[in-house]
Amino acid sequence: MLIKTHVHKNVFRDSVYLMRLSGLIRELEGVAAAEVIIGTDHNKKFLKAGGLWTEALEQEAGANDLVIVVKAADESAADAAVARALDELVKEAERDYQVGEFQPRTFETALKMMPGANLALVSIPGRFVRREVDRILDAGLHVMIFSDNVSLEDEVALKQKALRKGLLVMGPDCGTAIINGVPLAFANEVRRGEIGIVAAAGTGLQEVSSIIHNLGAGISQAIGTGGRDIKPAVGGLMMLQGLQALVDDPGTAVVVLVSKPPAPVVADKILAAAAQSPKPVVVGFVGADPERIRAAGCEPAQTLKEAAAKAVRLAGKSLPGGDALNFFPSKEVIALEKRKFKPGQRFLRGLFAGGTLAYETLVMAWQALGGIYSNLALDERFALSDAYRSREHTVIDFGEDEFTQGRLHPMIDPALRNNRIIAEAGEPGTAVIMFDLVLGWNAHPDPAGAALEAVKEAKAIAAREGRHLVFAVPVCGTDGDIQNRAAQAAKMEAEGVFVFANNADAANFVIAMLSEK
Amino acid sequence: MGLETILHRELQIINLGLEGFAESLREKGAAVTHVRWQPPARGDENLLSLLDKLK
Repeated sequence: MLIKTHVHKNVFRDSVYLMRLSGLIRELEGVAAAEVIIGTDHNKKFLKAGGLWTEALEQEAGANDLVIVVKAADESAADAAVARALDELVKEAERDYQVGEFQPRTFETALKMMPGANLALVSIPGRFVRREVDRILDAGLHVMIFSDNVSLEDEVALKQKALRKGLLVMGPDCGTAIINGVPLAFANEVRRGEIGIVAAAGTGLQEVSSIIHNLGAGISQAIGTGGRDIKPAVGGLMMLQGLQALVDDPGTAVVVLVSKPPAPVVADKILAAAAQSPKPVVVGFVGADPERIRAAGCEPAQTLKEAAAKAVRLAGKSLPGGDALNFFPSKEVIALEKRKFKPGQRFLRGLFAGGTLAYETLVMAWQALGGIYSNLALDERFALSDAYRSREHTVIDFGEDEFTQGRLHPMIDPALRNNRIIAEAGEPGTAVIMFDLVLGWNAHPDPAGAALEAVKEAKAIAAREGRHLVFAVPVCGTDGDIQNRAAQAAKMEAEGVFVFANNADAANFVIAMLSEK
Repeated sequence: MGLETILHRELQIINLGLEGFAESLREKGAAVTHVRWQPPARGDENLLSLLDKLK
């Protein structure tokens, strides 16, 4: 094995493009590992950890350079891989000219081309966000920041500036929003309606908006704030701004707030503001004490499903038959499945692409089954020292840093998660494998299809050792999404998987499967 | 100024960064201008702070 490094000076490409290119190079004959990546210090550390460090990388590559690193069986395989990467980069650069349309390189030029612009969607490397967004706010645009790795200090400064100007800053690390019927980043295709959402939880927003749609109602606006908005340092600035916007919005009749439980000082502020609302406010702080919320005159919801269902009821809109996919296995079916387990098969292995769905499952399963190991640990004693290895009951969020470093988010590339499905099947203690399918704009075009082989292989591994595995799969999305919820569910059901219309139902099924009674 | 400049007007979006976001917005029929963003001053932080002072 040898490692070849090629440094391409002063070249930049976005991370999604580079990860796709890396994936392409890795598939080439004789290539053991490969990364095409920007040469920042952070990325150098990542390459080092992955056994791809070279002297040339350290000496020649800087934060403005693109680096191609290939680990291959021999010199010719390595050279061929580097050449292929360079070839792809040239082709991509030429494509620009072929398209024929002028693409601006700066925000200022874009604004001249589109003087009526009112929103900027920002997904550039985090260290440049403050500088760009400062100028975007000066120009009077609202901003959605998809980027992560933005400092807390920058987040607070940008949000305070936005408030002074009466503008929205959604994010950083805001994965989804629906403004004026337009789905931004990872949003689902939902009908318009009278329910407005403010969420500090990306897949929480997706789950609640999708369930609302699937129950027959619709969304007026869905505003994301980024997960840190509810930390004391930010103080819920955008949660409060978003709430006020929806209270003032004549198109919104019911408001839903969605997040993990905020810090108490922030929760107090948000609940005090919600208490002033003339419109009903459903508060879905997943896992929070419902009494405090009720005391503030708001409607508490313990789960994302409950938040959506309460909002639909308050809006007075619902399908006569409810959600067509709604299904919960009978007691008899559950008892029958339980009897198929071998002694010692006792544990949940929850493998998630959606962070809020992982968190909701963790909270629900913790209450019913006791301590759950996780990389989202609710309790330090149950923090996994190695997220790649499960212990007893385990819930893993594959969107956390240890899995996304140098890789696409599992909602786009579920390969790591799907490999883990197979790995869990080899563990004698595994009884139920739960994993989510998150649909919507910009997500994987067929997550059920991508998971199918893993499910088949997992079942075969367990069967060889005389074990029975149960799969529980919530589908987050709608039939309007390009992946189509019904089609995704059908693919899973054909493999004997238990499919659920929402995450909470799937978690309740898992709990029923693994409870002593 | 309130949020009526966004919540009740047609969105006109400037997309900086991941091109896929611009593509899906176009597919949805939204008005979008994509910026083929590059690190300013080739990412040189010293040069960048000088440039910002000149403005």
